[in-house]
Amino acid sequence: MAVTKPSDRQPADDAPEIGARALSDHARSLRDHEAINRLADDLLPALIARLSSSGLGEIEVREGAWKARLRKPAARAVATPAAPHPAAVPVRPASHRDERDRHPASAPAEEEMGVVVAKSPAVGVYSPRRDLVLGMRVRSGDRIGFVDVLGVQQEVLSPIDGVIGSSLAEAGEAVEYGQELVRIEVGERSASADHPTPGQKASTAVGSAS
Amino acid sequence: MFNKILIANRGEIALRILRACRTLGIGAVVAYSEADRDSLAAQLADEAICIGPSDAKRSYLSAPAVVSAAIVTGCDAIHPGYGFLSEDAGFADVVRAHDLTFIGPSSEVLERFASKEATRRLLAAHGLTTIPGSGMLRDEGHALEEAERIGYPVLLKPSAGGGGKGMRLVRTARELEAAFKVSRSEAQAGFGDDSLYMEKYLDDNRHVEIQIAVDRFGNYIHMFDRDCSVQRRHQKLIEETPSPSLTPAQRLDLAECAARAIAEAGYENLGTLEFLIDTKGEAYFIEINCRIQVEHPITELTTGIDMVAMQIAIAAGEPLPVTQADIRQNGHAIEFRILAEDPAKDFRPQAGQIGAYLAPGGPGVRLDSHLYPGYEVPTYYDSLLGKLSVWAPDRPQAIARADAALREMLVDGLTTNIELHRAILANQVFIDGKVTTNLLDRVGSAPFVAGAR
Repeated sequence: MAVTKPSDRQPADDAPEIGARALSDHARSLRDHEAINRLADDLLPALIARLSSSGLGEIEVREGAWKARLRKPAARAVATPAAPHPAAVPVRPASHRDERDRHPASAPAEEEMGVVVAKSPAVGVYSPRRDLVLGMRVRSGDRIGFVDVLGVQQEVLSPIDGVIGSSLAEAGEAVEYGQELVRIEVGERSASADHPTPGQKASTAVGSAS
Repeated sequence: MFNKILIANRGEIALRILRACRTLGIGAVVAYSEADRDSLAAQLADEAICIGPSDAKRSYLSAPAVVSAAIVTGCDAIHPGYGFLSEDAGFADVVRAHDLTFIGPSSEVLERFASKEATRRLLAAHGLTTIPGSGMLRDEGHALEEAERIGYPVLLKPSAGGGGKGMRLVRTARELEAAFKVSRSEAQAGFGDDSLYMEKYLDDNRHVEIQIAVDRFGNYIHMFDRDCSVQRRHQKLIEETPSPSLTPAQRLDLAECAARAIAEAGYENLGTLEFLIDTKGEAYFIEINCRIQVEHPITELTTGIDMVAMQIAIAAGEPLPVTQADIRQNGHAIEFRILAEDPAKDFRPQAGQIGAYLAPGGPGVRLDSHLYPGYEVPTYYDSLLGKLSVWAPDRPQAIARADAALREMLVDGLTTNIELHRAILANQVFIDGKVTTNLLDRVGSAPFVAGAR
């Protein structure tokens, strides 16, 4: 899950999304931090679980000046066959100003970004493609590695167009079916986002926002 | 002995195997499908690994997935449980080719006993009486010829089948013509093998089976009998031991003959020989099950043997831990298959989330179940929620304890067959020990439930 730059653009209808919007103009930065941490650590996992197990299409929760809304995609947007839950959960904070205050190093607005995770197609031993590097641009269906199952290579494919983010499994590691292997950052991005800096990386992860 | 075993199954049997491993001090890894991520076995295990999606074909039935999981988790043996890959000779072969041990008979033994029709001929040669039947049926014309020779009614059976699936009762030549094609395509779809054979159908029969074990050195034992006559559409519902339809002398004779025949035929590991008992008390061998069976707890209750532990020891190449002289059949035990099926709605399988849940207790009560409050029963697999087994010094006391336990048992959130079990227990035919395998199908379950009120 990720915090993304604010945008006036409506999220694509087929992507799971969370909208978080400051209701008050007087919300202070500190309180925003607390709220967003709570969202990430407590609320979102619970909400996702609730949404997945229920027949509901949308859940909205209010917390102080914030509200979070989860909407199930009309059709499954998740590209990997393994994903039991929505794989991409971008968080959109309140306004441009608030966002810049929190992440001064982050890229300018007018982009929308999330993270989709490429998962293991089988139980076996994982090898990323040799030339796989952070920041590499991939297209949906591109081979980003393989899982060796009794000598047979099962391809790990990028579920989406995007940019290679952090790896979640090491080369040679035993992985199970559906295990998260590589984060792929997605979305319409400005040119600068094609070459992410550490500062930008940090801005994509909720956990490192505080 | 093994260091670590991969448990390639789900539900209550995965839990049962996990318990055996812990008792033996062997590490265990539970292999689960995506639908079983929250299963009790996966949660209780020290180690668990997701091997594939919910569809069993890509998880529990996928030999590469199971073997790969065993290798990457450092296991040296695989326990297949029952169903799925448990009697698959090809799988046993793959397991061995990767220097792992298949906990069950070797692939050669599984191969030898894979065809039911060939097994009947083999065991007939070793002295067992088999039911009059056909060889493999070539085509419809051949089937009609054989049915004429054996005499209607006949039972049409897939040679590769098991668990009563794909079997068809045929009473006339006309029915046979229609049934043959359907059975053949069902067998192909269900077992990947469309060969059929037929045997004489005994209208009022009882189903009695003998539990045996043979080690690698040819030592063999039997653990007496189980009576599985309470069935619905060839699916066992209630099992008990000893069988009320055999005298002690008949039982001993049948058990000894069965154990000797199967050991001489070169069998290895745990196995069950199934017989039909006709109204005159004559026993006909019908088939062998080369696996641990669902109903093994009642044999454990009456003999005191941990059969899963014994099965693991045999697979590890150890000699049988007991001799026949050590084994006594003590008291009476009954098992009830608690199923997520609605008897009022043609036994349709139920799925849903378990609400309130209470496991019964008391003297001689054992519950093998993977349920817990909040557990979501997946729709992908069979409807077995658990097995309630009771033991008592004699049959009437076992029935009384069983009824008390069934009354106590609470499974909220979906419809189960618990009330049907109580109704059967209260029925005079059951109390008299005279249930035949066709009874429930003939009269339906409604009169049982109605009669019990």
